Amino acid sequence: MQTDPLRRAIAPTLGSAFLFLLLLGGSLLYTANGDASSNSLVTQMLINAVVVLGLQIYIGNTGVLSFGHIGFGAIAGYTFAICAISPERKLRQIPNAPFGLAEIDLTPLQSGMVALTLTIIVAFVIGLALSRSGARSGAVAAVVITLALLFVVHEVARNWIDLTRGGKTGLSFSPLGNATLQGKLPIYLILIGAIALARLFKETRAGRLAQAAREDDLAARVMGIDPAVQQMIALLLSVAVVSAGSALRVFELGSINPRLFFFDYTLLTLTMLIVGGRNSVAGTLVGVLIITAGSELTRNLSGMDVPGMNWLLRDGLTDIFLGGAMLGFMILRPAGLLGDWEVDHWLYRRLRRAESPPAPSPVTTARSTSVLQAAKVTVHFGGYQALDNASLEATAGEVVGLIGPNGAGKTTLLNVITGLVRSDSGRIELDGTVLTGLSPHGIARSGLARTFQNFRLFSALSVRENIGVVHLMATRFRQSRSLPPVDTLVTQAGLWEHRDRRAAELDYGSARRLELARAAAAGPDFLLLDEPTSGMSDHESINMIDQVRSMAELIGAGVVVIDHDLNFITGICDRVYVLDQGRVIAVGTPAEISVNPAVQAAYLGTTD
Amino acid sequence: MIELIQQIIDGLGRGGIYALLALGIAVIFGVMHLINFAHGELITVSAYTSYWLFASGFNWWFIAPAIIVVAVLTAVIIEFVAFRWVRGAPDFTMLMTSFGVHFLVQALFVMYVSANFRQFPRPGWIFDTWRIGDLSLEVFDLAVIAATLVTLLGTYWLLQRTMFGVSLRAAAEDFDTARLMGIRSNRVIRGAFILSGVLAGVAAIFWLMRSGQAGPTAGLNPMLKGVLAALIGGLGSLSGAVLGGITLGLVEVLLISRLPGGTAGLTDGIVFLLIALLFVFRPQGLITVRRVERV
Repeated sequence: MQTDPLRRAIAPTLGSAFLFLLLLGGSLLYTANGDASSNSLVTQMLINAVVVLGLQIYIGNTGVLSFGHIGFGAIAGYTFAICAISPERKLRQIPNAPFGLAEIDLTPLQSGMVALTLTIIVAFVIGLALSRSGARSGAVAAVVITLALLFVVHEVARNWIDLTRGGKTGLSFSPLGNATLQGKLPIYLILIGAIALARLFKETRAGRLAQAAREDDLAARVMGIDPAVQQMIALLLSVAVVSAGSALRVFELGSINPRLFFFDYTLLTLTMLIVGGRNSVAGTLVGVLIITAGSELTRNLSGMDVPGMNWLLRDGLTDIFLGGAMLGFMILRPAGLLGDWEVDHWLYRRLRRAESPPAPSPVTTARSTSVLQAAKVTVHFGGYQALDNASLEATAGEVVGLIGPNGAGKTTLLNVITGLVRSDSGRIELDGTVLTGLSPHGIARSGLARTFQNFRLFSALSVRENIGVVHLMATRFRQSRSLPPVDTLVTQAGLWEHRDRRAAELDYGSARRLELARAAAAGPDFLLLDEPTSGMSDHESINMIDQVRSMAELIGAGVVVIDHDLNFITGICDRVYVLDQGRVIAVGTPAEISVNPAVQAAYLGTTD
Repeated sequence: MIELIQQIIDGLGRGGIYALLALGIAVIFGVMHLINFAHGELITVSAYTSYWLFASGFNWWFIAPAIIVVAVLTAVIIEFVAFRWVRGAPDFTMLMTSFGVHFLVQALFVMYVSANFRQFPRPGWIFDTWRIGDLSLEVFDLAVIAATLVTLLGTYWLLQRTMFGVSLRAAAEDFDTARLMGIRSNRVIRGAFILSGVLAGVAAIFWLMRSGQAGPTAGLNPMLKGVLAALIGGLGSLSGAVLGGITLGLVEVLLISRLPGGTAGLTDGIVFLLIALLFVFRPQGLITVRRVERV
């Protein structure tokens, strides 16, 4: 399962080829009569497909909404035009171009390379800015930064007359502004490349980690995934594809002006992306097809004269169609027509061999001998003291419970340990290594994995993939531990029949077990569990005892568990810490704790 | 010195309008967690209303209140047609929905009116100036500042002293808890849209007095200014939005007067760039209302 080339490489490649051939065949059929207008429609559609695939690589995998990709397109388009237009034409159009650009004479291929390189450099800078702003799915900061890029590029293109010839006329390759691209071969080559890149990226390590972060940024980080790295990779690849598409677009039109890569094109490409399904390559292409056909249809209809329909059939119908499609899909079907379905998912299901659950392997993992220490942790939220010199120590051989009334600071202590909340003072150590001040993903990579009170799964990903992505992280950063295979963890959590279902579809108990298994997949020295039995019946929480024990045994990790359920705590814990008002008021075995007067006072409110 | 004072007053005049727009956006963000990129459409609709009313022979005294009514109606209709259906949806969906509304309204005007801008008369007094010593003050700026102050005071009273205001602030603080406390979400959200309509209406009156034209994209610029100002203010914060608007106005005026000749056309780009930088280094906005995500 770790490396399943059929699923991760072969089927996607076949699927991409199939999609390309389908598009190619359709295009050839449609243009068979040699009509010039249908020919140019198809050419534009194929070029738009490249640009939208570029958007898909970033927006689809990371969930970060970018309005700036068309701004990257403008940079690529202008760079391409300025390099590729012949010097004679340039001397007439932009004689005062800086850096001696007017004399430069490059072939289209060379110009494309220059455009690609320059745009990727800009994208790298923007990518740094995005990660500094903490970009994640639906983040506002990312929208602002990318919009700013679109606007600034547009303004520069309009105002830097010496270089771009301004907004009125723009630059053109030939005096008549004819199409300059001869033959469709370059488009086909770039298109098949874009399809394969977009599809295969979804299966790469970076793509899968980015998707996990898209589903839940916080959960991804505490599982050791650093979204910034994956988002940067996705951004650079996506900008490369958008650049190629934009250069093609300019070359095909034979001219460029600032309006060509601004709001209208952003609207068009984004609508194409979301209609078919932004998380799917097949969906992206379906969206391109539907929107192209719809735009063409409405454009033709708007010129027609049908009695009684004049209120509808008039100029501007195409824009209504685009805006309406965007709005309609967001309201009625936000995931698009295909969701995240791919052609090769179907193919894979036909080709793969029957699976059987892995045989339960005898425990081979050596118990970790780690020690986790939280020393004198103090946290204030405004005037409220959440933790007051709280200390905790756990060794990997034991299960340590953390109990206390609501608001005692249990979850806050867990948050401090896993780096989600910064403490005012105190330190966290794992085997003498200081974890205080590390990022959440750094702490996870050092050997702490947690679950959440109200669970946070990667809801659109399958059960297996939830565990798989974390396993992927662990194989790189937790090599010292011998990690059980993904399918063993799936089976251990009792989720084998549900392995291909989405996490969002699981029932409550299964979701809890999946979260536990996902944490275990991180190969931690300690599992930190925040109320694993909350919302469970007595019977279920007794089962959870076995579940936690066997999971900890399987990976050889210690356990720190917060819970309210007294049966659960006494059934599973070797030692219990009792927190009240941010202080540790008692430590001991469950039996000792239950007779401790201070604990009884805290729980029952008696003062004596 | 005199010049600086003049520029500050000019900036307050601009900033006042931005503050009203930003406040409307912040109010809606508070109750719905939605950045309303369709806020500018209220201005677009107001602009066409002004144009048609002028064409039918009305004057500004009639048109000004009519603009507010129309802006409120538009806000309520947009909420009913679009935003109601994506309540509580993921941020991505809500962002795209508000952009969808923005583009759709724009397209409707292109289709049923025209893509071209149409002019209508501006009131005669907007170019008048008052001289106090060396200081020459534009009457228009003073009018905007006064109207902004009155509107903000009214809004403040509404938010602090009325049942609706308390519900709105409670919902902005914590929507789910507010609902549990018996606040009716439909009513609060509709109220928020009405309030944002009123604020946009007041802003529209002055915006249109100055621009004197109506076109499908008339709302784009005010929308961007309002959103940027609200972003500077940290989005959820109402006082932040007002401060953000005024800051934006002042920065613009100072930039226009300080930029070397020939680059003045880049003012909007530079402002946008500055705000993007602000977001790179302070993603939570200038004025922090940091919401710690509970886990």
